[in-house]
Amino acid sequence: MWSVSDDALVAGLAAGDEDAASAFVQRFQRRVYGLARTIVVDDRAAEDVAQEAFVRAWRHADAFDHRRGSVVGWLLTITRNLAIDAVRIRRPLAFDPAVLVGLDQPSGEREPHELVQLGVDTERLRAALAQLPEEQCRAIVLSGLLGYTAREVGEAEHIPLGTAKTRIRAALIRLRAALVSEETTE
Amino acid sequence: MSIFSCREVRELAPELALGLLGGTERAEAIMHVDECARCQALVLELTETADALPLLAPELEPPAGFEHRVLSQIHSRRRWNRRRFVPTMAAVAAVAAVAILSVTAVHVVEANNSSSTVPRSAAARAPVAVEMRDTVAGVSAGWAYVTGGHSVAVTVDYGVSSGRYHVQLTRADGGAQSLGTMTVNGNRGSWTGRSARTITRGSTLALVDAAGRAVCHGTVTTGA
Repeated sequence: MWSVSDDALVAGLAAGDEDAASAFVQRFQRRVYGLARTIVVDDRAAEDVAQEAFVRAWRHADAFDHRRGSVVGWLLTITRNLAIDAVRIRRPLAFDPAVLVGLDQPSGEREPHELVQLGVDTERLRAALAQLPEEQCRAIVLSGLLGYTAREVGEAEHIPLGTAKTRIRAALIRLRAALVSEETTE
Repeated sequence: MSIFSCREVRELAPELALGLLGGTERAEAIMHVDECARCQALVLELTETADALPLLAPELEPPAGFEHRVLSQIHSRRRWNRRRFVPTMAAVAAVAAVAILSVTAVHVVEANNSSSTVPRSAAARAPVAVEMRDTVAGVSAGWAYVTGGHSVAVTVDYGVSSGRYHVQLTRADGGAQSLGTMTVNGNRGSWTGRSARTITRGSTLALVDAAGRAVCHGTVTTGA
């Protein structure tokens, strides 16, 4: 079952195949729980979010369209939305967003099947993030990963709303440009 | 026609891709993107990058027994859905049977040129299910049920942000009215109420946010 593609697992999930459901959960549970825990901070709430994310994925598996994105992207988007809804009050950040995404650490080795394609893989994205000015990196991690609104980014960073929006916009555009540039030089 | 120009949408594109825009800005930007291939391409590129950002979260081992608990939930909900499916199908069959009887009765009455009672009322009391779909993503957000042409129940459980929404009825003739206010919390919410005007086929029910944007909607496609 581990050699089966992500798309095939989703198809199995949609068809009610219990082996496929089990393999699907095993394959993605660390990513889903990790993202949920990162956003909601609380262990118990993270588990609730992660469980609900898998149930939602099962319920909507028959509507998954691989032409619109990867399985892991779809599943993590579900997880992120649930986690953001679960967080009613933002706690002060107890960590640096750049540290959170591991920009200060070696990337480590990953198995080939873990180098997930979303148009970009995580290591290339991490490298592109590391090229950003620190304040832009923090802004895009807060908004793109943790789901902060521009206003919340402004409050967390003690900057005006307009500055927060400018940093988020600039960061995403530069990230995209870096990734596209890398693709064309490969 | 959107009020935004290409220049304005290009400026807002990163926030649109990250899902940070709300209300009128989001609705107008999406309207523009739907009609402009160049802006659409830009937003799609940025969305691809934005969608990759959650991959940066550290992977963590969930608590022991997590997989078992997830599979148990799926299993129990699957069984529940099957149980629910049977009465739903029975209700559909009942509606169909009553409708057939009604049509038959109408034909008989018309053939006899009589004005005696036509058994329409039973069909009118059977609930009509309307799937509420997310206006942007098109995925199912929940269901509305219209009973007797006036009673309305709306329930959502997916993809609707927490907040207060107007339950808006737009009749087939274009007239629109708010039937009440529904609160959504953690993607879930339900509301029941009545419409003074009869809800007929072709009417649309929608949840409308404070900015006037319909976040999900469904159209009555069978007789209500």
